[in-house]
Amino acid sequence: MRGYEYYKPGTIEEAIRLMTSLEDAQYIAGGTDVLVLLRQKKIKPGHIISLRNIKDLAFIAHHNGLHIGSGTTHAEIERNEIIRRNYSALHDATSNLGSVQIRNVATIGGNICNAAPSADTACPLLVLDAGVTIAGLEGERKIPVDEFFLGPGKTVLRKGDILKEFVMPLFGPTTGSSYIKHTRRQAMDLPIIGVATRITISIGKNGGELRCRDILCTIEDVSNLLARFEDEELRCEDIRIAMGVVAPIPMRAKEAEAALKGKIISEKLFEEIGEIAANEAAPRDSVRGEAWYRREMIKVLVKRSILRSIDRIIRPDDMVYPERLW
Amino acid sequence: MKKEITFILNQEEVKAEVQPEWTLLYFLREVLGLTGTKEGCGYGECGACTVIVDGKAINSCLYPILEVEGKSVTTIEGIISRDGELHDLQKSFIEHGAVQCGFCTPGMIMSAKALIDEKEKPTVDEIRHTIAGNLCRCTGYVKIIDAIKSVVDRR
Amino acid sequence: MDNFPVVGQRIPKRDAPQKVTGSAIYIQDLKIPGMLYGKILYSKYPHARILAIDTSRAEQLPGVKAVITGYNIPPFKFGFFKDNPPLKSGKVLSMRDEVAAVAATSPEIAEEALEMIQVEYEELPGIFDPIQAMQEGAPILHEGLKSNVLKLPWRLICGDVDTAKKESHCIVEDTFSTQWVTHCCLGTSGCVASFDINNNLTMYSNTQIPYLAQRDYIDALNVFGIKNRKVRVIQCIIGGGFGSKLDTYAYEYIAILLALKTRKPVKVLFTREEEFIATSPRQSTITKISHGCTKEGKLLFREMEMILDNGAYTSWGATTPSVMMMPISSLYKVPNVKYIAKCVYTNNTYSQAMRGYGNPQATFAIESSLDQLAEKMGMDSYELRLINANEPGEITPQNFKVTSCGMKECIEEVAKRIDWKGKRGKDKGRGVGMASLIHVGGGARVYKSDGCGTIIKIDDYGKVDVFTGASEIGQGSETVIAQIVAEVLGVNVEDVNVINNDTDVCPWDVGVHASRTTFVAGNSALGAAKKIKEQILEIASKSIGEAPEHLDIQKGLIFSTKDKEKNTPLGKVLRNAHYSTGGKMLMAEYFYDPANENFDKDFKGNLSVSYAYGTHGVEVEVDRDTGRVTILKYIAAHDVGRAINPMMLEGQIYGGGLMGIGYALSENMNFREGRLMNPNFLDYKMLTAKDVPPVEPVIVETNDKDGPFGAKGIGEPGLVPTAPAIANAIYDAVGIRIKDLPITPEKILKALKEKEKRGQSGEEGK
Repeated sequence: MRGYEYYKPGTIEEAIRLMTSLEDAQYIAGGTDVLVLLRQKKIKPGHIISLRNIKDLAFIAHHNGLHIGSGTTHAEIERNEIIRRNYSALHDATSNLGSVQIRNVATIGGNICNAAPSADTACPLLVLDAGVTIAGLEGERKIPVDEFFLGPGKTVLRKGDILKEFVMPLFGPTTGSSYIKHTRRQAMDLPIIGVATRITISIGKNGGELRCRDILCTIEDVSNLLARFEDEELRCEDIRIAMGVVAPIPMRAKEAEAALKGKIISEKLFEEIGEIAANEAAPRDSVRGEAWYRREMIKVLVKRSILRSIDRIIRPDDMVYPERLW
Repeated sequence: MKKEITFILNQEEVKAEVQPEWTLLYFLREVLGLTGTKEGCGYGECGACTVIVDGKAINSCLYPILEVEGKSVTTIEGIISRDGELHDLQKSFIEHGAVQCGFCTPGMIMSAKALIDEKEKPTVDEIRHTIAGNLCRCTGYVKIIDAIKSVVDRR
Repeated sequence: MDNFPVVGQRIPKRDAPQKVTGSAIYIQDLKIPGMLYGKILYSKYPHARILAIDTSRAEQLPGVKAVITGYNIPPFKFGFFKDNPPLKSGKVLSMRDEVAAVAATSPEIAEEALEMIQVEYEELPGIFDPIQAMQEGAPILHEGLKSNVLKLPWRLICGDVDTAKKESHCIVEDTFSTQWVTHCCLGTSGCVASFDINNNLTMYSNTQIPYLAQRDYIDALNVFGIKNRKVRVIQCIIGGGFGSKLDTYAYEYIAILLALKTRKPVKVLFTREEEFIATSPRQSTITKISHGCTKEGKLLFREMEMILDNGAYTSWGATTPSVMMMPISSLYKVPNVKYIAKCVYTNNTYSQAMRGYGNPQATFAIESSLDQLAEKMGMDSYELRLINANEPGEITPQNFKVTSCGMKECIEEVAKRIDWKGKRGKDKGRGVGMASLIHVGGGARVYKSDGCGTIIKIDDYGKVDVFTGASEIGQGSETVIAQIVAEVLGVNVEDVNVINNDTDVCPWDVGVHASRTTFVAGNSALGAAKKIKEQILEIASKSIGEAPEHLDIQKGLIFSTKDKEKNTPLGKVLRNAHYSTGGKMLMAEYFYDPANENFDKDFKGNLSVSYAYGTHGVEVEVDRDTGRVTILKYIAAHDVGRAINPMMLEGQIYGGGLMGIGYALSENMNFREGRLMNPNFLDYKMLTAKDVPPVEPVIVETNDKDGPFGAKGIGEPGLVPTAPAIANAIYDAVGIRIKDLPITPEKILKALKEKEKRGQSGEEGK
């Protein structure tokens, strides 16, 4: 254990002042990544500035949408009922990241600021149109989360900057979202790839009434399900697709989104957007997964994530999925 | 440079001079000699070092000691009653054969305790979800899950 | 079978109270006054010449007490082939090669000192593939040798395979391979070496072989110039074994050398990363196998050729073919057998024992191949297995004398409980598979001795102390031994104390391996308990006035079996024995060495007194889009002779089963050019509580005539047939056979896509 000074500022301003006044200083939030790096001696800072005691960073608020302080732990997000219902993708990500022990201290801000291509909360934030507020020496600025990442471990944050909060708009009852983390085991894992989607739908037939609820409760073949959607003229009014571990940064599949938006859902269309999304990605071979497999999984998981998002619109109270399907 | 901290450990106040780079695990094991909390990896990937801080299970290997200031910490040594009676979970682990080599056991029990303290009747799925961060190589987890479930069922 | 008050009961594990309270002392927790901390510097390259080592800066760091390298220690090599020096000089042959070591006042200072050691290397081309290493002109790793192939000609010939081939109605042939997997003991490896003023050594250790390790240490001390000293091995509570501690390792000799140099106790404790990199895993294998059978499905021959990646040095991994011979010759009745195995030096990690000791690798090939044979025959593979199942009284081609054998019951139980007839070959995407096992269940004479000693003494109040050579690694040997002794002596199991961790106190044992402890240590404890009981009854006969043969003990009371009114408390008899003129101390010893045989020069002989059998059945679902396998149901039927403690026995089955599922589906030490890419729990996919499928253990009791109360071993069998059972189920589900472990989603998806392609182009696909 190499020595360093440890600071526990109580306000954002104090933290920024400290950081800008010190050489070789490192912010720490939950510390579940930083402490590992310290132990591995991959970083050797002289000063650690803890953001854990800044009350203004740890909150979940619902006014004009959703506000989440960057210092909010994954466990707090996982437990939030409104997030589970209305921002389901974020619930999916925070409930299966690391372990309970990790989620009890690791923060959403830390997960994003690390800017790992595998960051579980990144894809959900991308599809939920999150904006981020950054506090710096010269005041605050707001940018869309899409613009936050620059590369693996690289973000737009400048020295002293603190990612303060995430803001997401309100979504109506015809919008649903989900995140699928494709892993080798059921827990304690990083994604081989991760896919999040958010979809807003309308129904062309039956006076706009949703009648496909019955089929979603079954373990019908996906083809049958999609045929039924097509038959009822289930239209994609709006769509977001985001993918993790397929490029240097978590990314949106914008061409796939464009291909789906405004269209009636069909099996053929689903096949197409899977292909398009896979072509937008640039996955690589790594110890954790092979590029070809990641590409294949994009095709599969984009479809499954959209289906799950639709399911959540149609059956908002039922969080049990027929696992055979998606 | 050493700093002084005060916190509650197993229901007793602790005042101590600590090095900023110490983890809670290091402090417990190396300074206080509370070796019931184990280190299995040091990276938060096995859960052997799980203790409870303010009601929540955490990996003490990744917890900076200065962050426990003013908080309440419970370790495996602190869940036995003052007259030496074992906690229900400890009894249940013994009775159900949930212990083999035992290295994961203290952490496993602390994870389970945080769960049952918070929830009256967790389901088996919730039990699995909760102890998923505690690796065990000996038992295949089945009897551990049985042991926790049995405590819940008897409530 | 008889029912007993203690044997057969679900007695809680004796050391569980100290483990659930955190008071158990593991090597991690041990501190000795004045103790220093040793750390090891490993090679930077898998194959390189060491040009220079400069330790001067490290030596000057305050707190550093000693720095040693391969250039300033006595020449010494350890291991099965004595090819491994604790610190390397001249050349390094693998990434885990120890190059230097430091002792310092804290682990942090020792680590800092390691960073200050400058080693200059000249990198050499490495060989990472055993097949390449065997080729003409391949660089020879060990100087002085002519070939990278070890001089260990594993070769078993039974009957006449060539003739059997000609007579076979149906033959299948294929190649299977397995990966490196590692033990993942939750408690990492470590030891403390401490010399007294007379240079006697005490080793606080995690070893599974205290008495063989003692000998290894004495051999080392002799080379180090410390001759004729006493070595005492004390085991702390051990945080998992699984075979990983069946040999002595470089770190132990390094601790000894550092302790010698500093005259202080020195502790070496592995980090998790070191545990992954520098302990020895299960070896990887490449196996060519063929089977042939008659028109009726009777097996006629089995032929196997195997290549094992030995890594850079030689430990017990190189001897696993001897155990592989067991399933190869004797899993199912097969009259003609041929097996040849080669171990080849490479610049990879070297292997050791791991639960099953080669059996899982061999059984993966055998049981996968049997399913292929059944398919080619157009037979139900369940029928094929039943036709050829082992039976009591059989003498196998390797001269194993099968005594108790519940293999057919196991196969039938599995078929019934998995709904074989209802599910096999029926459901697209879902399937069932099975595989069986044979393992040593009555000790295994792999060394000259397979013995274990027990000493029993009883105090004035009827409390029993049992001193056993058997080690406790979490499996519950102390509890099984206490149960056996309590049963014989008619005392409460709580009144039996088992002492099992100190070579100064406990009698000799060959080690905790080969699923032998319940059988061998159990029989040893049984013998000692019977002896002391005779002594007690002899004394009691005088005071009760009844012949000893008509006396018995129950619940601490000695009584006449003819007249229960004639009785006296055990404690009183014991006190009288001490407090009388010409008194007697009650103590008995017993050494049990089973009547099994070492292999002869042709690798034949009755290795074990009895054999354990089992069958696993599994139902899987394969996600055709992602290649992911979900286990829906898992049945593990085991012939265990008798369950001394059903609760702990189930623990072995559950634990072994999940380890086997990891072996089949997720675990893999990912080596790239000799470098381990995943030395951590995040990337080494040991399974979690959320990955546990519904497992149903089925205990088949055959009451073995030689086992203590009829028991046979169960430590290893739980993971032996797991991988082939799963592979067979996957084939049933989606028609693809993965022959290379682990069966990852990538491999399945790739095979599915290839099958689809072949289907489209009209070729016959499988």
